[in-house]
Amino acid sequence: MMKRITLVMMVFILLVLAGCRKVDYTLIDQPAYLRVFNDLNYAQSMDAKDSKYPSLCMIINPVLDAGGMPTGGEVVGDFLDKRDTYAPPYPSHVGNSTSVQNPEYPGKEDVLVGPILNGFDLSSWAQVRSGKLRIMFFYRPFNTTPFFELDDRLKHDVLVDTTLTLTAKEVYTLHVLQKDFLTKQTGLLLRQENFHKLPLSDTMAYVNFYNYSAKGFWQADYSLKNQDVSLRSFKYGVKDTMNIFLTLYKGQTTPDKSPFIKNFRGNYLGTMIRNADAGSVNPYYDFPLWADTSADGIRTDIWERLEFLVQGLDISDHPYISGGLSNTYANYAAAYCLLNGKVQIGGSSPLGSGVPLPNLLVSLHSGIDNPRTFATVSTIEIVNSHIYLTTIQRKYPGPVYR
Amino acid sequence: MKTRKYTGLLLPVVISSALFTSCKHEDLAVSKPNENVRTAGDFIKNNYDFSLFYAALDYTGLIRQLNEKGPFTVLAPANKAFMELGIQTAADVQRLNRDSLKQAMAFHILTRRLMQADVPVNGVDIEYETLAGIPLYATFACYAPGNSAYSYDKLYFSGSFAYRKDVQLANGVLHALVKVMKQYPGKTVRQWLADRPDYSIFVSGLKKFGLWDELAGDGPFTIFAPDNKAFTDAGISQAVVDDLETDKYIGQRLFGAYILYKKRYFLADKILFNIVNGEASYLTTIRNDQAVFGWYDYQGDYNLSLTSGRIQPIIYYGSVDVPGALGYRLDHLCSNGIVHDTPGLLIKPEQALK
Repeated sequence: MMKRITLVMMVFILLVLAGCRKVDYTLIDQPAYLRVFNDLNYAQSMDAKDSKYPSLCMIINPVLDAGGMPTGGEVVGDFLDKRDTYAPPYPSHVGNSTSVQNPEYPGKEDVLVGPILNGFDLSSWAQVRSGKLRIMFFYRPFNTTPFFELDDRLKHDVLVDTTLTLTAKEVYTLHVLQKDFLTKQTGLLLRQENFHKLPLSDTMAYVNFYNYSAKGFWQADYSLKNQDVSLRSFKYGVKDTMNIFLTLYKGQTTPDKSPFIKNFRGNYLGTMIRNADAGSVNPYYDFPLWADTSADGIRTDIWERLEFLVQGLDISDHPYISGGLSNTYANYAAAYCLLNGKVQIGGSSPLGSGVPLPNLLVSLHSGIDNPRTFATVSTIEIVNSHIYLTTIQRKYPGPVYR
Repeated sequence: MKTRKYTGLLLPVVISSALFTSCKHEDLAVSKPNENVRTAGDFIKNNYDFSLFYAALDYTGLIRQLNEKGPFTVLAPANKAFMELGIQTAADVQRLNRDSLKQAMAFHILTRRLMQADVPVNGVDIEYETLAGIPLYATFACYAPGNSAYSYDKLYFSGSFAYRKDVQLANGVLHALVKVMKQYPGKTVRQWLADRPDYSIFVSGLKKFGLWDELAGDGPFTIFAPDNKAFTDAGISQAVVDDLETDKYIGQRLFGAYILYKKRYFLADKILFNIVNGEASYLTTIRNDQAVFGWYDYQGDYNLSLTSGRIQPIIYYGSVDVPGALGYRLDHLCSNGIVHDTPGLLIKPEQALK
C-alpha cells in the first residue's frame, strides 16, 4: 500500500514539474494599429527598362552602424512587394502562398495583430508601439535573401527616411506612393482610419474612394504608361476630379446578362478628387445590403459596378458606354465587384471595360446558413493605372455543421 | 518415406548453394568515368566552326586558361561572326592588336558556370562579370507573363543571340553566339563617334546644333547613328550640313531624333518586350519636340520611323529598315550608352524647318 502511495506521489510530482513551462508572451503596451501598402506600380516595359523594381524593406526605429548601414530595428517588414489588387479583411495570404514576397504589412509576417475593435476584425493590422517612430524604407533586390543577409552594397538604397507619430489604439494605413510621375519623386501617406468610430449599420455596405495617383500621371504621354491590357479602362488613369456612379445587378452566375436592381442604376455617389498628400478619411457612401427586395434576408446575390466619369459626362449617355472605345483619355474608368474578383467579363460587352474586383458583400458559411451574406466596409484606392480594394469585415459567427 | 522427406529439404539447399557458387565473375567490368573529357580550350580547338575564335584565343594566350580547372562559361562567336567583321583567316587574327583583342575575347568568358536555366526568366540586362573585368548583360526573352505554354526562350548576351546553348564541358559550359560582342570600356558614345570618320556628317550636325557635348555625360544614351553613306544617299553632303542655318531648323528633330536620352537599349530588347509585354512597336516622343520616334521589330528585323506627333493629321517624315543581318554593325556598348549603325535617314532638313 505504501509503495502504491509513493508511486502515485511520484507521478503527481512528475506531472506538476512537467507542467511548469515558462511562456514569455510578446506584449506591446499602448499599441497603435498599422497596415502598410506599397503602392508603387511597376510594369516590365521598354520605357521602364532601366527603372528599379519596387521591392522594399520597411524598418521601424532602425539601428544603424557607424557607416549608416542598417543592422536591425524594432519592426522589420521585409520583402514588401507591390500590393495586390485585393487586400482581404484578414491575412489570408499566408495560407494561400509559399512565396516570401509580402503584398502588404503585416500580411504574411508573424506579428501581434489588432483586436476586434468595435466589432471590426483588425487582424490585418499589426500592433506597433505608439508615439514617435522613425521609419525607413529601403529598396531591396527582388529575391528570397532576407534584407540583413544581403551584400552590404545592396543595403544603402533608401526610399524614404522619416518620422511618424502614432497615437495609441488608433488605426492607421500607411501608403508608399509615387508623388510625381515626371520627377519620379516618392513619399509616404499616413491615413488615420475612423471606420471603427462611426455609427455604421450592419445592414448597409459602405465604401469610400481615394485617388492617390501621382501628379501628372493622367496628363502624361500614353507611351509612358503601363501597357498591360488587363488594366482595361484604368490604363490611362483618371482625371483629378471624377464623379462616381454605382449600379447594382442581380445574379452572379451569368453576369453579362444580369438585370439591374430597381432604383440602383447609375446612382451618383459622390466626387473623388486626386490628393496624394492628405491623410484625411474620405466620406463613406452606402447602399443597402438588402437592395434586392426578393432576397430572403439571409443571402443576396447582388453585385456592384462602379463607374468614374469626368465632370460633364452624363452617366446615361456618354461615349464610353458601349465599352468599345479603346482610349478613354482619362475621362472614364469602370470596375465591377463580382464574386471573388477573378471573373472576367467579355471584351465587347459594355461591362468589358471594367476591372474585376471582389464583391463588396461577403457571402460565406456562418452559423447554420451556407452561405450567408454580410455587408462590409470597403475602401477603393486608385493609384495611377491601378485600382485597389481593401475590405474590412465585422467578426461574424463561425460555421455550424449539422 | 522418412528419407524422401529429408531429400525434399536438402534439395533446395543444394540448389541454392549451387546458384551462389556459380555467381563468380573473375573479370568484372565496371564502367569507369571517362577521364579524357573535353575542357573548354580543347573543345574550341577541335570544333571547326570556332576556328577563328580559337585562333584569337590562341594568339592572346587565353586558350591555356580555358584548359584549367574553371569553371568557365564561354560565349563563342561562330566563324561567320568573325567573317562579318572582315576576319577571314587565322592570319587575319594575327594582324590585330594583341592587347585589345585579349580584352575583347576575355569579354566572352565568364568565370562561372552559367547555364540557360540560371538566367532569370524574362530577365533584362542581368549583369555577369567577365574575365575582362567588366560586366556583360544577359537578356532572356521567355514568354508573356502567365503564358509559359508559349515559350520562346531567346537568350542574348550584350545583344548577341545565342543560337546553341548549354554545351557541356568538363570545366564549364559553352553557348554559341551569332556575333561578336562589342564593348568599349572607358569610352563614351561621343568618343566612339568621334573616332570613326564614317559618321563625320552626323557628328558635324550634332556639333552644329549643340547636341554634341552632352554625349560625354552620364547618359545613358542610345544612338541610332546614320553613317555618311546614309546622308549622301539622301543627297545630303557635308557641304549641305555645313550650310544649314541653325536658327531656321529644329536641331533636336533633325539630328536629335536619332538619340534616345536616359535609355540604354540593345536591339534585342525590342524582341524581349515584344514577347514579354506585347510591345510590337515602341513609340516615344523625342526630347524637346512633338515628333514621335517609332521602333518596330519583325522577328529580328527592325524598322525605325519618325512622325510629326500623336495628334491628327500625322505627317510621316521617314523610316529606315535595319535588317537583323546587319547585326554586326549594331550594339556597340560604350561606357555611357550604346551606338547602333543606321543605314538610312529618318528626316530631311526641309521637314525640320521651324
